[in-house]
Amino acid sequence: MRDAPSPGGPVRRAVQLIERIAGAVLGLVTVLIVASAIGRYGFARPLPDAFDLSRLVLGVAIAWGFASVAWHGTHIKVDLLAQAVRPPARRWINAVAWTVLLIFTALLTWKIWGRVSAALSGGDATMDLRLPHWPFFLAIWLGLVAALFATIARLWRIVVQGADLGEFDGIDAQLLQDQKK
Amino acid sequence: QEVTLRLSHWVPPSIAPASKGIEPWAQAVQEASDGRIAIQIFPAQQLGKAPDHYDMAAQGIVDLAWVNPGYTAGRFPIYGLTQVPFLVDDSIQGAKAIHAWYMENGAAQEMGDVKVCFFHPHAPGAFHSKVDVTHPDDVRGMNVRPAHQGIARFVSLLGGGAVQVPAPEAREALSKGTAEAVTFPWGAMYDFNLSEEVPVHLDMPFYMSAQLMIMNQGSYDGLSDENKAVIDEHCSPDWSGRVAAGWHEDDMAAKDRLMADEAQSFNEPTEDEIAAWISAAAPLTEEWKAEVAAKGHDAEAILQAYKAALEEYDAAY
Amino acid sequence: MSNELLAVSGFVALFALMALRVPIGIAMGLVGIGGFGAVIGMGPALNLLAQSPISTITDFNLTLIPFFILMGVLATNSGMSSELFRAGRAWLGGFRGGLGLASVGACGGFAAICGSSVATAATMTKIAYPEMKQAGYSDAASTGIIAAGGTLGILIPPSVVLAIYGFITETDIGQLFIAGVVPGLLAIVMYMLTVRYWYGRQLPAAEPFRLGQALAALKGIWAVGLLFIAVILSIYFGVVTATEAAAVGALLTALIGLIRRRLTLSTLLDSLVEALRTSVSIYVVLIGATLFGYFLAITQVPQEITSFLTTLGAGRYGTLLLILLLFLVMGCFLDAMAMIILMVPIVVPVIEQLGFDPIWFGIIIVMTVELGLITPPVGMNVYVINSIASRVSLTTIFRGVLPFVTVDVLRLILLIAFPALVMALPNSMN
Ligand code: NA
Ligand code: NA
Repeated sequence: MRDAPSPGGPVRRAVQLIERIAGAVLGLVTVLIVASAIGRYGFARPLPDAFDLSRLVLGVAIAWGFASVAWHGTHIKVDLLAQAVRPPARRWINAVAWTVLLIFTALLTWKIWGRVSAALSGGDATMDLRLPHWPFFLAIWLGLVAALFATIARLWRIVVQGADLGEFDGIDAQLLQDQKK
Repeated sequence: QEVTLRLSHWVPPSIAPASKGIEPWAQAVQEASDGRIAIQIFPAQQLGKAPDHYDMAAQGIVDLAWVNPGYTAGRFPIYGLTQVPFLVDDSIQGAKAIHAWYMENGAAQEMGDVKVCFFHPHAPGAFHSKVDVTHPDDVRGMNVRPAHQGIARFVSLLGGGAVQVPAPEAREALSKGTAEAVTFPWGAMYDFNLSEEVPVHLDMPFYMSAQLMIMNQGSYDGLSDENKAVIDEHCSPDWSGRVAAGWHEDDMAAKDRLMADEAQSFNEPTEDEIAAWISAAAPLTEEWKAEVAAKGHDAEAILQAYKAALEEYDAAY
Repeated sequence: MSNELLAVSGFVALFALMALRVPIGIAMGLVGIGGFGAVIGMGPALNLLAQSPISTITDFNLTLIPFFILMGVLATNSGMSSELFRAGRAWLGGFRGGLGLASVGACGGFAAICGSSVATAATMTKIAYPEMKQAGYSDAASTGIIAAGGTLGILIPPSVVLAIYGFITETDIGQLFIAGVVPGLLAIVMYMLTVRYWYGRQLPAAEPFRLGQALAALKGIWAVGLLFIAVILSIYFGVVTATEAAAVGALLTALIGLIRRRLTLSTLLDSLVEALRTSVSIYVVLIGATLFGYFLAITQVPQEITSFLTTLGAGRYGTLLLILLLFLVMGCFLDAMAMIILMVPIVVPVIEQLGFDPIWFGIIIVMTVELGLITPPVGMNVYVINSIASRVSLTTIFRGVLPFVTVDVLRLILLIAFPALVMALPNSMN
């Protein structure tokens, strides 16, 4: 329903791959926190760096998820006006909205690159194991680059193909499709 | 008024480091400039998270920022020496000594992109626990909420577990048994309402944490000569001692209040126990040396300079 | 430009961008940067982007949000919601309007393992709406019941909105969750009474009650009970922190689903992706709201609002009423989450100065934004139901939910008059 099947095929497959990897990483962090809790209560020894690693790795997963949300159009947004107007006007609204998103994503990607290079020379590290921060920041930055491409791809679909944006967040596309039949 | 400087810190405005350190300092700057400089204070992370404060000043988001270098592990290795326990025994003289030492031996090397202004330690913090802890061996198998990364290393070295929770959640962690002990300055026992949870105190200067005030280089360079002079005058070993004194006074008042409370117990360590603590912490100095040497600095010379400064200001352990 | 004028312009720009369907978090972020830049210069303001967003997405205290979302998604995908409805039907179907009662009960049960209202409403529309339609319920009644029942998702713990409130105000998230229990139960009871006595006559007759069936249905919901108990009791008795409880809850839900063969590795991965997407959209709002908050802070307008409200002379309850009215009006247009993130930092200092308990206020404010989920013109729950049950018009759903809005206001008054209903449980925690 949200994604017409054929166009944007390669992009869709790329986004799908990205979000699956990010989803798996979310699962990994869940297990890490449980393991750390068990370690602390069961054996009075927390896993070293569970605190830093879980937050940094989750940050990476979230950053890679930006691409998915930009592509599917399921950002939290106010649809009132867009749904009240006729499709041609809606296409313009959608185009403006995603252009603004693109600008923000571009600024963020630019500025966070500065952070990555600062971390490279700065020596920021985790508390216990002294793992350097920069690989995590670099991974976050790469996620933003992916989001930049996903936003451009979506914008192209809005402008050229007149595709609408996804409506609601937190409901899987499958569920919506089942019900709209 | 010619210029407004925005100062950001991350503690509530009501507690001692803010009300008896930062605010009086800002007041003094404003008065000394005859009102040409106004300082606008943004407390309690209003403009950014605590660990971001160094970058906030360096990048001009604010003009002045109050920084805890312990929040960014690995970034300021030389400054990490101030986190090694059992080197400093007095925070007022210690602040002056750290000021004199770091301006010569570290500021240019690792904080070269900002103007370092004053150093702001609390009175030496203590080890507070649910059960008696007098000897380093007592920490084995114990979960401790450490004050900073240096103490976290020390706890691991002693065979304990370091539990990282933000200071406001320390009470919760203690009441749930997530942690059985904390290292905190005395004042925190009341600031964070911890005295019921950890009523046993090891009465020896255990560690220090020295915040510092930094200024954006551009903000400083843009000042008129007479305003620069005012700032320079307030960024001195003497002022480091004065801001530290306000916090020290508050910590000591809290300690007196704890001592007057019958529910609290104080353990005074014996000479042997003190020696055991100091020797247990010895590997931390070695680790510090290795880390600083890896960055290409002359670790031994910097260490000796630190010890000499502490001797000079009568703050050595 | 004066700081006040700047802040007002900021809000105008924010609402204009939001009306143009710009993601709420992005609108807040851009206006925040722009406004901050107007005060201190664009160069340094842009540097905020190098610090703040990374701090937000790597903040340990927020990690429980994806876990609780994941728990709800896994519960849905492993069929726990339909089991709840079946059990509710077997036990409550004997009353007039029994399917409606069962829907409220199932919403409450699902809310106990799901942290989001929109997800609760969506799930229950899928399960309960077709059944009620078949049994002859009017569209207004059936969708109204689900829209209202769905709001329980953020009141009954776990709750993403309460977690964010706790994060912003630095109050104990565990205590907040426990504080939501009694008001949540009260809501279930009041909604059931509304179904029974407001809609009662127009609803179809009861189904015969069969004890055997009722007992059998209980066997289906052990998993939900186990999860709720594992999460909430471990928070109540302080066995784990709220973050750990969230991770344990998500992992347990996955394990139960895998053991019962309701989940495969492939649906598990799909659930992770879905939870991630929802989490990301929440993080975007958090990122933007943080930046917008820095802009407001540097104009010092929140402090002025605080001192204005406290010196207004409206009295303790008068000021509280003003604040709640503000939230109600904003709730007509704004997303619940965005409203909490944007407004709570401004009003909580006032609330504390007036001597109200921030935990209690957290529950009160969540109930107020819950109302926003079901009031026109922007009511997320209503929109979600409309998107799934697309033949029912928005107007019909808004009409059907009206009785529940009335009892919600009643419940709000009750909890303001008797704060002990909220505070007794959390106060007994230590
Ligand atoms: Na819930
Ligand atoms: Na509304």
